[in-house]
Amino acid sequence: MESELTDDRTDRRTVAVTVNGRRCTAEVDVRKTLADFLREDAGFTGVHVGCEHGVCGACSVLMDGQVVRSCILFAVQADGHEVVTVEGLGDEDALNPLQQAFVEHHALQCGFCTPGMLLAAVDLLKHCPDPTETQVREALSGNLCMCTGYANIVRAVRAAAPNVRSG
Amino acid sequence: MEPSSTQWKGRPVRLREDLRFSTGRGTYVDDMKFPDTLHVALLRSVHAHARIVNVDMNEALAMPGVVCGLTGEDARRMTKPLRSLIPIPVALDAYCLAFGKVTHVGEPVAAVLAESRYLAEDALEKIRVEYEPLPAAVDPEAAMEPDAPLLFESMGTNVMWRDRFDYGDTDAAFARAAHVFKKRFYIQRYSSTALETFGCTAVYDDRREQLTVWSNDQRPGQAMPIVAHSLGLTHAQIRFVTPDVGGGFGNKRKAHYLIIAALLSRMSGGRPVHYLEDRRENLMALIHACNGVMDLEAALDEEGRILGMKVRDIADEGANVLNPTVHSILKLGNLTNCYRIPVVRYEVNSVMTNKCPSGANRGIGKPFMCLAMERMMDYLARRLGMDPIELRRRNLVPPDAMPYTGPSGALIDSGDFSGTLDKLLPLIDYEDFLREQREARARGRYLGIGIAIGLEPSTSNQSAYILSSGRRNASGSAEAAMVRVEHDGSILVLLGDVGSGQGHETAAAQIVADELGVAMDGVRVSPFFDSAVTPWLYATGNYSNKFAGTDVGAILGAARKVRDKLLELGAYLLREPVENLELAEGGVRARDRNEHRKTLAELAFVAYRDLLSLPKGMEPGLEGRFYYSSDLANVPDENRRVRNQLFASNAAHGVIVEVDPDTGGVAILKYGVVHDCGTVLNPAIVEGLVQGATAHGIGAALYEEFDYDAEGNLKSTTFVDYLKPTAVEIPDVRMDHLVTPSPYTPLGMKGVGEGGAIPAPAAICNAVENALEPLGCTFDHLPLTPERVWGEIEKARASRS
Amino acid sequence: MKPPPFRYHTPRSLSEALDLLRESSGDARVLAGGQSLVPLLNLRLAYPEVLVDLNQVQGLSYIRDDGARLRIGAMTRQREAEFSVVLAERCPLLVEALAQVGHPAIRNRGTVGGSLAHADPVAELPCVMTALNAELVAAGPEGERVIAASDFFLGPYETALDAREILVEVRIPSAPGPRHASFVEFSRRHGDFALAEAAAVLEGDGSCTGARVVAAGPAWIPCRLEAVERLVGGAGVARTDGAAQRDLVEEAGRTAEAAVAALPTHADATPYQRRLAAVLVKRAVAQALERWSRN
Repeated sequence: MESELTDDRTDRRTVAVTVNGRRCTAEVDVRKTLADFLREDAGFTGVHVGCEHGVCGACSVLMDGQVVRSCILFAVQADGHEVVTVEGLGDEDALNPLQQAFVEHHALQCGFCTPGMLLAAVDLLKHCPDPTETQVREALSGNLCMCTGYANIVRAVRAAAPNVRSG
Repeated sequence: MEPSSTQWKGRPVRLREDLRFSTGRGTYVDDMKFPDTLHVALLRSVHAHARIVNVDMNEALAMPGVVCGLTGEDARRMTKPLRSLIPIPVALDAYCLAFGKVTHVGEPVAAVLAESRYLAEDALEKIRVEYEPLPAAVDPEAAMEPDAPLLFESMGTNVMWRDRFDYGDTDAAFARAAHVFKKRFYIQRYSSTALETFGCTAVYDDRREQLTVWSNDQRPGQAMPIVAHSLGLTHAQIRFVTPDVGGGFGNKRKAHYLIIAALLSRMSGGRPVHYLEDRRENLMALIHACNGVMDLEAALDEEGRILGMKVRDIADEGANVLNPTVHSILKLGNLTNCYRIPVVRYEVNSVMTNKCPSGANRGIGKPFMCLAMERMMDYLARRLGMDPIELRRRNLVPPDAMPYTGPSGALIDSGDFSGTLDKLLPLIDYEDFLREQREARARGRYLGIGIAIGLEPSTSNQSAYILSSGRRNASGSAEAAMVRVEHDGSILVLLGDVGSGQGHETAAAQIVADELGVAMDGVRVSPFFDSAVTPWLYATGNYSNKFAGTDVGAILGAARKVRDKLLELGAYLLREPVENLELAEGGVRARDRNEHRKTLAELAFVAYRDLLSLPKGMEPGLEGRFYYSSDLANVPDENRRVRNQLFASNAAHGVIVEVDPDTGGVAILKYGVVHDCGTVLNPAIVEGLVQGATAHGIGAALYEEFDYDAEGNLKSTTFVDYLKPTAVEIPDVRMDHLVTPSPYTPLGMKGVGEGGAIPAPAAICNAVENALEPLGCTFDHLPLTPERVWGEIEKARASRS
Repeated sequence: MKPPPFRYHTPRSLSEALDLLRESSGDARVLAGGQSLVPLLNLRLAYPEVLVDLNQVQGLSYIRDDGARLRIGAMTRQREAEFSVVLAERCPLLVEALAQVGHPAIRNRGTVGGSLAHADPVAELPCVMTALNAELVAAGPEGERVIAASDFFLGPYETALDAREILVEVRIPSAPGPRHASFVEFSRRHGDFALAEAAAVLEGDGSCTGARVVAAGPAWIPCRLEAVERLVGGAGVARTDGAAQRDLVEEAGRTAEAAVAALPTHADATPYQRRLAAVLVKRAVAQALERWSRN
């Protein structure tokens, strides 16, 4: 955790966020974004920061089960809430069906958008368990990918849908 | 050719990178932070052009958490001037921070180092800079005028490079032509804007006189000499590490930041110093592709064969002093695209303006060259009343002319362009579409089709820059690799070019597994470049789609050194002649008696531990290092012809669009690409790169633009203003492949990664014009925004009524 | 790109929130979903001394139908409203517009009241609320006041709320009879703020007896186009008369062009944006009529 000095206008708070099932507590500036908290204080560097103004979607996480952008939330706002990052979806020995499908369909290249894409897809499949191609595209349109041209991502999400349903 | 059952090459094996990245376990430069890390924030110029009268850091340095700061004056005192990669006409008095004046909006003026990025940004607001604004040179043509404001007064001009290449007697060709047509084309500024921004962490330990830099810089081979020169360090004192790179596309290079971080680390007593661009900084000041103006003039005979061409190009380099003329040079590689055009005159104008420095971006100059050529082909067809596809066919370099050397000396090593086109037409249901289009037009709908073919030269040859700089600063095309059988029989591969999403770990493992007769799982390819252990040279890095052209050669060379040694050692231990042995199933064995074998672990045991069992005189260890340099690279000849890139993939794009005349909206209904990059090592990688590059080209055609006003202010500095296409805007590209292996690369592979980006803007622009043919609309400028499209429709309608 | 320092409060009740606003003498900003405000903070385009975060205030998130009107709590998340059964049934126009607000991740956090109070000139909800003749309820130190949507939006990012007030509820009056409506927008990319947008609400059963038509984009606030309303609502076109409807749509398009041209448009509005708004008005009217005739 980095040390942060504050000036007199800045509040500090102790926050406790359950991240991937683990309680993470830290004292932070109230202005610290949730993304920075997750990366720096909780150590979940799978949260990627791509624009810091709520457009690119790379920093997407689930908060209380819903996909949100952690760069435009403050860590204090997550106090007492549950957050899931890509690390909480599954690991190499126990992949989530979406992760499995991303690997099978080569739905990524540089990997920087991938965590946000996966979490946006989790949110989609919860509301829409059998999405059409258009529905997938619309649901992921808040997540930019500069590498893949999206085709394999869309394929992967649709391929994963039955496994997510049955899982 | 079907791969044999024991062969890994050619198989669509899953990418090992994908497993790491899909679980969020990539390690990117922003993860390269250590206990005690300090954070840099940069104050950036708000002026396009201004003299810096004074920079007052006092208040900023007194802010909470601030450790120290740096101004351009400090940088000038502490470092040597930046050394340009491609020497420019004047000695630069430029440093990692602006000194004396600023030359573009977003140029770093001062740096603050603090305990957190938050505090560093707070302190930036307390820096007082006194500027004396100067008139700005913004439009490249105006910047060439004698009375234009000058970026570098000592140069006396903004024209960095003006030149004329006469490849053959163009005037004679024009004199005997049946038709001569001329047209002007433009391209806007855009960029790939990798999702991960550029950054670094530096630890400069003054006592040990050692600098370590972790950075997602794509070309450590070039970053190293710049950093070393500026800081007055030897290369041996610098360790340069590249972790996972979150997308590059050429953009990720900026030695300024590495030098700033190093200086601040030194000033803070060797603490780790981290700098990461935020998105606004990335969009304002990392790298833009040059905007440009191109006049094309073509001379044709009665049958529509192009006899000669004149190209006058203006590349707006922005304030690019580190790496200029690249866009102009790379156009030499596709100056005549896929066509047999015997003579060409190429006029080069590489111009500096008060805008973001230009630099490498997916295709570098080639997308514009292709845009102009392929738009010109449609224009010529219209003027001649010919079918645009037929006109192309008449001019394509035929397969039996391969390998073909174009007028500029550019080599097309292989390809079957008409074959690529043949495959494209059914892929997009060309014939059906023409019928559909007639019916649609009758009902007032505007459907259009656009075709563009594009050459995709890869693997840059450093000696081409002799043409622009007049000096032999570097030459050749190269990369380096190491393959080592470790003590336990496992295999480690190090590669200078670690990639940034191109699956190099997987591809390299496929190659090495085949060479050493092991399963892919037994080969680990380091995801990191580390100058302390990875062999490297000036050419090292991730650029110009050179994996096929040089990286494969380096990997194979290193693997074969190890293979030869394994066989030699195996022969000695098994008491068999080498010719009777093979590498298979994780060991050396007799071809006729497979059980007569030594495993890699057994061989490694001897090579590293049981040294007295080695044959007499054999060096211990099982390590191969190979620096591969392509034989094909040359230096410019007396007529200034050069192979500026070595291997040419090609692609044909076909796109069907519908234009909504009321909104100006363009919808892509169908998109097809036929791609030929020679032998395919891993189909998943190739298809992914083509699809992704096409998306980038679509972005350039329809959405993306760095928009400067007349004063040089950039209006697109966030992802709200700089529009990247999303999953809704990008269609699922239908893809087909043709395989014409390169006769010159070790495995017949050619470059892949730009073939989507190069022809796409032309194809889309052609399609939109075709859709609006009944109205006679033409388009000079990209992107084709709804407003621009609507404006042309209105103009056409007004002129009709 | 990090936010500047601020003091941060998380009131649990509305009165506590109002007290905080009163005490902070104008340098406070209310934080609802934060999907517009926090980017502005990160870009350091806003420097509030104090943030009053409403996310822990009880009782501001609800969707109720009291017969005469729909009442939506200001802190209701856009996504919740989008999936609301009550709204799907009683106010599909709002659902149609909500689905076009940003992206799911934005709507999961963004609130109905936040979007209205932010008053982006091309946001979906101000346009739709104007078309629905909604009322916005502001709570302040002196109690509550009700503001008609057409009086609420004063300019770009400017509303009738004063610095001590908080938007607490939106009320959408129920129509006396069936209502058919359409919202259309045109943006550069899916999920972007629109270049222009239009909403049309038709009333009547066998024949059209009234219309509210709103366009946004060329003006700083969503504007009713009364000439189009008179035309569409006054023509008495029958639900089953397709030919008359087609003629009406064409005429509505022409009227819309003149009506948009007469709007007090802002300096950045281009001829294109004005024409686009008129085109969208025509499309919204056409779609509303088509939905009406299908029912």
